[in-house]
Amino acid sequence: MKIISRNLLLFAFLLFVYTLLFRFGLGQLLTAELWIWVIIISVLYGGMIFFTAWTTGKRDGMENFLFDAGFRWNLTTFLVWGIASEAWFLLELHSAYESIRVVHITLLIWSGFLLLHFILFLILRRRTIKGVHKTDIFE
Amino acid sequence: MANVDKLHDELLGAWEETYKKGQLTLWIFLALKEGPKYVSGLQESIQRFSRGTISAEDQSLYRTLRKFYHLKMVDFSAGKGHKGPDRKYYHLTPLGESLLHSFVERNILLFFEEPLRELLLNSSTTK
Repeated sequence: MKIISRNLLLFAFLLFVYTLLFRFGLGQLLTAELWIWVIIISVLYGGMIFFTAWTTGKRDGMENFLFDAGFRWNLTTFLVWGIASEAWFLLELHSAYESIRVVHITLLIWSGFLLLHFILFLILRRRTIKGVHKTDIFE
Repeated sequence: MANVDKLHDELLGAWEETYKKGQLTLWIFLALKEGPKYVSGLQESIQRFSRGTISAEDQSLYRTLRKFYHLKMVDFSAGKGHKGPDRKYYHLTPLGESLLHSFVERNILLFFEEPLRELLLNSSTTK
């Protein structure tokens, strides 16, 4: 039973790659003022994250019985997205249309939801025994 | 008549499907009560005890045993494999033994007492 499992690391790696590709594509499309494509690439990016989180999370649930109410995936997404986005701006790879303020505001709002998710996890953890959900122990 | 038989079989299948959910633990514990076993041996015992009505996939058993080990209900020791590498021989811990005892006493033994025993025997001879 691992907190940082192989599936979580795979998700983090793929998310990092997606974020770099998204940031690059977004900068190019904004500079070219292709607004429709900006929306398309954003939806595609969100969809890819959702799909990857879903598949790696499901596989992790089969191999690893640690109950976390999805919090590890949420925290990983927050950290990877935040670090990749901050680095993108610090390395000045962003376009003229992008502002680091948007990244900071997103992280601020997201951290609020992350805190709520953590509280929910703590509440639900009462239904576990040594980290395993009571309904998942006996099969 | 064929329709009634078909309905009977469908309902029996659905009932058994529901009934078997949550039973794997009992079969694993009973198999380990017989003696330490590796995963394939455990599968064979479960099939034998349940007269083939319960079967468990390798992955499902490994996952369950890892979980039980984490919760200190089973432990294992390395033993000689048939030809290949050493195998993990699982056995019940004192906690596992105690759990099996309490569970059987509270949920299984009542079927061996009257009037349930009589009713069950009558149900198996009438159709």
